[in-house]
Amino acid sequence: MSAALDKGLVRWLAAAPCADAVAADWLEAQRAQARARVVDQGIPDSKAENWRYTSLTRLLAQGFVHVAEALTAVQRDDLEDLLIPGLESYRVLMVNGRFMPGLSDLHDLPDGVRIAGLAAVLKSDPDALRERLNGSVGDEQPLFAALNTAGLDDGLVILLERGARLERPIELIHLSVGMDEPRVAQPRHIIALGDCAQANLIERYLSLGDSLYCTNAVVEITLGRDAVFTHQRIQSESARAFHLSGLYLSLGAASRYQGTNVGLGASWARTDLYVRFKGEHAECDLQGLYLAGDGQLMDFHLDVDHQLPQCTSRENFSGILYGKGRAVFDGLVRVARDAQQTDAAMTNRNLLLCEGAEVDTKPQLQIHADDVKCSHGTTVGQIDPEQLFYLRSRGISAARARRLLCLGFAGEILDTLVPEALREQVAEQVGRRLEQAPLD
Amino acid sequence: MLSVKGLRAKVGEKEILKGLDLEVGRGEVHAIMGPNGSGKSTLAHVLAGREDYRVTAGTVTFEGRDLLALTPEERAHLGLFLAFQYPVELPGVNNTYFLKAALNAIRSARGQPELDAVAFLRLMRERLKVLYLDDSLLKRPVNFGFSGGEKKRNEIFQMALLEPKLAILDETDSGLDIDVLRIVADGVNALRGLERSVILVTHYQRLLDYIEPDFVHVLAHGRIIRSGGKELALELEEKGYGWLGAEEAA
Repeated sequence: MSAALDKGLVRWLAAAPCADAVAADWLEAQRAQARARVVDQGIPDSKAENWRYTSLTRLLAQGFVHVAEALTAVQRDDLEDLLIPGLESYRVLMVNGRFMPGLSDLHDLPDGVRIAGLAAVLKSDPDALRERLNGSVGDEQPLFAALNTAGLDDGLVILLERGARLERPIELIHLSVGMDEPRVAQPRHIIALGDCAQANLIERYLSLGDSLYCTNAVVEITLGRDAVFTHQRIQSESARAFHLSGLYLSLGAASRYQGTNVGLGASWARTDLYVRFKGEHAECDLQGLYLAGDGQLMDFHLDVDHQLPQCTSRENFSGILYGKGRAVFDGLVRVARDAQQTDAAMTNRNLLLCEGAEVDTKPQLQIHADDVKCSHGTTVGQIDPEQLFYLRSRGISAARARRLLCLGFAGEILDTLVPEALREQVAEQVGRRLEQAPLD
Repeated sequence: MLSVKGLRAKVGEKEILKGLDLEVGRGEVHAIMGPNGSGKSTLAHVLAGREDYRVTAGTVTFEGRDLLALTPEERAHLGLFLAFQYPVELPGVNNTYFLKAALNAIRSARGQPELDAVAFLRLMRERLKVLYLDDSLLKRPVNFGFSGGEKKRNEIFQMALLEPKLAILDETDSGLDIDVLRIVADGVNALRGLERSVILVTHYQRLLDYIEPDFVHVLAHGRIIRSGGKELALELEEKGYGWLGAEEAA
């Protein structure tokens, strides 16, 4: 652990969260425990398996500090450009990690659905969260989950009772606005669906302006028996931003999680997905798409643990890299001895458009059961010259043809996005990014 | 409109075309026949501008321009079209989107306004009818998961849409049943009616039952060794290519 890194971490930990409220004892205890865990763990170096390909030096050198006060300067008019045309949703706005009820639209929620700010719930009804907070993360908190717990002060709580259904998606917009001092927002979202409940959550990470900041989000999701949850995460942070997010899933029997992660923005982005099966016949489908250009790092870590029999998981990630862009895909699927009839398939495909681009891909299966259907595959390739020639022979310029092929490559993942309005908007973003890419 | 003189080309280190001459006039249909490995497909790809086929000698003029100096897309803009023997699959690239991009690229290169979505759709429907092509093919990715016949029809559909001045069909007839063969023939004959030129690269005489060529050329060992009218094709059908080799040697 070097002294310089230590300093960054100390600064990160220093600011007292939620200065305006006296927290419940159990929460104070959790925060203290998390702080101790951060200090114990220290900074993982390149020998730590989880951080082998990604250095934390650049992140910690920024000296991010926690900002406790809410930013009230953002008005409804500022949001117009951020909305997706044609997308009807229950909209939740968070600015710099703070829930903004005045900018959110949560009218007409059906019975059995509660959506509220985490800080408000911690204040009014803290015991509702006592078992849930870190319920999916667990005690062995990874560094950035522990930092999030230690600094936790707001986020979103989504609770669906048994059988509750939302016809419209919930759209959670994380808006970041740069401040004089580089700061970190650490939202914590707690999502729990009762048996047979159904919902679709769209998380969008956006910024106003080209500012430097850090997001360290933790999302905990618990699905009851037969619950169905669609979760789409579009990371379009500012080009200078640092983005960390940890997703912790607990899947009940016969529940179904359909997730799509799209990583487009940020200078440095790291996403960790932890999947735990708590009942048989559950299905987890993780799709991912990332683009990394000059000066960008996109790092995805998957940890899918099949402890119980007859569950299904899909991990399907595709990346497009250009300029000096870098990506890491580290996917681990474990199948325990008793997890018979597990069905798991992991793929990671990468398209490298320039010589300077780089990807480290490490899909792994650890199988201890003998009656399973598991596979993994990875490809790293360039644009196929035959395909390129075919398009050019039809009059399409070389640059346009390359973009079309890239969009086609991304299409498999983009097609998983619903509704159509979201799919179109994200496809357009990908298209715009490719317009700027040096493909000629 | 197309004049090929002394064309030599290599694929890798191997010389495939060894001094080929060919003249194609407006509205003419030329059939190029020859045994496997004679260089027929190489000729088609060299004309379309494939970069890994290296031209070492000779000239090609098309519509008064030095064709060999142009990129594949510039050749398409000038009105050249290659129907591929093995149409390439483009997973994830929507067929309609692709066709519109191609048509509008060619239109804008020619100084014509691009077609909007409505006008494009109208044109597409009109051309579809001629080819008995199923609408659903347009919603699928280009050639992806298409049967052999569907791929060939999709090539002819593109040709009908882009209305090239010179279409080169590279063994479009191989592996097709009679129904598809008729469709291919209809597409070519429609172009012919527009005073467009066609080069049919083929191994068999069968296609020529439906498209009557103005000229037939026999390609062997990288050169055209014999040219004639449509009766040459019948002669080839009867005797095979063996006798030509003997004649050339003699």
